[in-house]
Amino acid sequence: MSVESTTAEPMTVVDPAGRQRHPRPRSVGVTAAVVLTALALPAVVDAYTISIASTALVLATLAMSAQLVTGVAGLPSLGQAAYLGVGAYTAALLANAGYTNGPTQLAAAALTGAAAAAVTAPLVLRTRGTTFLMVTFAVAEVGRTAASQWAAITGGDDGLHTPPVTVWPGTAPLRVDGYIYLYVLVCFLVLAALVALLLRTRLALVLRGAADHEPRLGALGHRVTAALTAGFLAAGAVAGAGGALLVAVNRYLSPADMGLDVSALALLAAAIGAGSMRGAVAGAVLVVAVRDLLGTDTGGHATAVLGAVFLLVAYRRPAQEWLRTRVQGGRR
Amino acid sequence: MTALLHLTGVGRRFGGLEALRDVALEVEAGTRHAVIGPNGAGKTTLLNLIAGALPPTGGTVLFDGHDITGLSMPARARRGISRTWQHPAIFPRLTVYANLDLALRAPETGVNRSDRRGRRGQLGTLLEHAGLAGDVGTRAGALPYGRKRRLELAMALAQRPRLLLLDEPSAGLDPIEITHLIEQILALPAAVTVLLVDHNLDLIWSLAHTVTVLHHGRLLTTGSIDAVRTDPKVQSAYLTGTSPQNPRVGRRRSVPSHPGADISNHPRQAAAEQPEQPVVLRVRDLRAGYHGAPVLLGVDLDVRQGEALAVLGRNGAGKTTLLATLAGLVPPYAASRVELIGRVLPRRPRPHHLARAGLALVPQGRRLFGPLTVAEHLRCAAALCTAPATPGGRSWTVEKVLELLPALATRMQHRADRLSGGEQQMLAIARALLTNPRVLLLDEPSEGLAPSVIAQLTDTISTLVDGGLAVLIAEQNLDLATAISERVLILSQGRIAVACPTHELYEPAQRACLQRLLGVAAPTTASPALRLSGEPGDVAPLNPEMAQDAATGGDPGE
Repeated sequence: MSVESTTAEPMTVVDPAGRQRHPRPRSVGVTAAVVLTALALPAVVDAYTISIASTALVLATLAMSAQLVTGVAGLPSLGQAAYLGVGAYTAALLANAGYTNGPTQLAAAALTGAAAAAVTAPLVLRTRGTTFLMVTFAVAEVGRTAASQWAAITGGDDGLHTPPVTVWPGTAPLRVDGYIYLYVLVCFLVLAALVALLLRTRLALVLRGAADHEPRLGALGHRVTAALTAGFLAAGAVAGAGGALLVAVNRYLSPADMGLDVSALALLAAAIGAGSMRGAVAGAVLVVAVRDLLGTDTGGHATAVLGAVFLLVAYRRPAQEWLRTRVQGGRR
Repeated sequence: MTALLHLTGVGRRFGGLEALRDVALEVEAGTRHAVIGPNGAGKTTLLNLIAGALPPTGGTVLFDGHDITGLSMPARARRGISRTWQHPAIFPRLTVYANLDLALRAPETGVNRSDRRGRRGQLGTLLEHAGLAGDVGTRAGALPYGRKRRLELAMALAQRPRLLLLDEPSAGLDPIEITHLIEQILALPAAVTVLLVDHNLDLIWSLAHTVTVLHHGRLLTTGSIDAVRTDPKVQSAYLTGTSPQNPRVGRRRSVPSHPGADISNHPRQAAAEQPEQPVVLRVRDLRAGYHGAPVLLGVDLDVRQGEALAVLGRNGAGKTTLLATLAGLVPPYAASRVELIGRVLPRRPRPHHLARAGLALVPQGRRLFGPLTVAEHLRCAAALCTAPATPGGRSWTVEKVLELLPALATRMQHRADRLSGGEQQMLAIARALLTNPRVLLLDEPSEGLAPSVIAQLTDTISTLVDGGLAVLIAEQNLDLATAISERVLILSQGRIAVACPTHELYEPAQRACLQRLLGVAAPTTASPALRLSGEPGDVAPLNPEMAQDAATGGDPGE
């Protein structure tokens, strides 16, 4: 399956020295196969599975945002869903005001997501490590509470229902799950391409440096806080765009969509990806598959299965190490 | 004046501890300026204040005539101050290429294609210079230690600094690597002013134009090498430390320096004539390694009660692995057999079982519990004081340990990470003793310590050995090792290359062997300095004691 092959992908794909090394043909082939499979999906599976696939794409977008902050810049964020929420409310309010054009909603949501990140960056970037985790969580909870209290705009806990998006002015709105899925998939691929470009910039290299040894980066004269702020903004924009996709898929939005569990799942997906962007995307797909597909077969115990996935990820590295020494020792 | 760096009244407090007080310093452009001083003198703090890693609590720092006191580390770096750390500060998960790429000045404007090509050329030159051309795609964290150091220096130089701050650049390097380091620093262009802190005085004497001596956070003197070496204040600061007389010339130092001399009064020799003590640690065919790469390829050794065995060897010879394996921190391979006080140990002993069975390790770098106080450390260790008493019915208590190590008694309420390196080492030994060991493993106890502290340490360990403790000590400092041990082992590439009584090291054949295996001259009483191979004899040490500083350094507690 595509999930395994993508998670097995080593980090070298986004190797900072990548200007000398291009992704190997095999990984390009795997990516192309995954994209083609994704495009062909509506023709193969039922409408229920397609709607789940759309949900997976939304979480995959949020996972890319979490991976930018956590895997690249080394700051564990437990609040990325807040920026998704800001983007989602932007899209929903635009839709209810008559602006049903999907790409417009997407761009606006990315902008407000980035703006929200810019406002909160000075608060959260004063901290590192576990404190960063707690502060991002706190900021996100403030955002969620605001969304549920500010009923005049957000509809409070009852949420907002929105009209379906249109792809182009004058065209018919997207009501069929398959078309919505394809629209979301194309948007996701564009965002993924932009993120891939970002990962090849000097900013990404500086962010990785900050994750590895921040004092050294400072001693080399880099403006570390400025770089981290830029990275945080980019992650906010990606999360905001993910919010617009969420509204396009669900046509409904409530404060629960920007809750702690959403942030936690995005962080889990990033952790499954172990620093790689493709890994984070595969992780998001895996998480949604476990929760929504496997969950129906386990009598609603999907949360327990997800908990087991969390534990597996936490224990994976020692287990991998153990396995490797065993295998190499056996060959010796 | 051409002073590039000008410090006036600079001080720094850490809570109640005044690490630096009223330091005034001028560093001339183009000079190689060294800062030396005993452990805890404030050398690293001074470097951190100049680099901007710490704000001073008083005073001003002028760089090239501008006040930079309020500037951050990145801002100072952009003005041309670059630095290295005691432990190589590199980006371990990035490739060597990416490390240097980050070190090159960020392009001010948009990069066009030719800029990019020029940049790649620059990076190639840097890689070539650092001797890292073969490691371009290697993750920096996977480099061997010596190469990490070279990478760090290359990163600092890539910024084309006007002032280069080096914090113990020789720490952890073997003598040959130190020779390369000296050559590299000497080859720097005159536009680079160097301010360096190091414990290796041979390195200082062969590099520095000007030397500043710090002692207890105060500037003692600044002057030329000759002036500093003859300054009585410096001598007393370096030599007396906390003990009034010089304990280095203790009884164990009465080793004859040349063959044919009377050896009958060597105390260890005398001890050997007494009835044989029982073997408390017997090791046969010890093999171990990491991630499938073997490090130890079959080591046999015996340590008797009341005896010290020294393990010598270059960096990477397997000394630390040997001790870590014996302490249960690294699992040995199947064929290995270890007996502790007559009992065969299980193949994968747990560290706490070993501790209760009478084996204690004083690890390299001390490994103290940073935020705990000295008193808390001792209470923690004493809680396990249930092991059988040590030979002679002696059972260690906190009082007895403090009697042996009086320096700790005055520091009971201090946090371990605020102690000086020497005090930390004493605390690590105290912690180990409170488990009532029969066998004590010491891993590079002299690392990063000033000569006077090493002298105290030598005395302490000798006292313990005389009290019946079996000691296995891995050392880079030849003088400490020979002063306390009856026998030495020299490890080379995971095997024992030489095993002989310590006094035989002074015989010509063994001296040649030592020279080959360690890359240093064997100690003599005339010139006991740990010398670099091929170093001319005219760099006479300030005096024997002062030059005995270990070639290894890296004192995190300073």
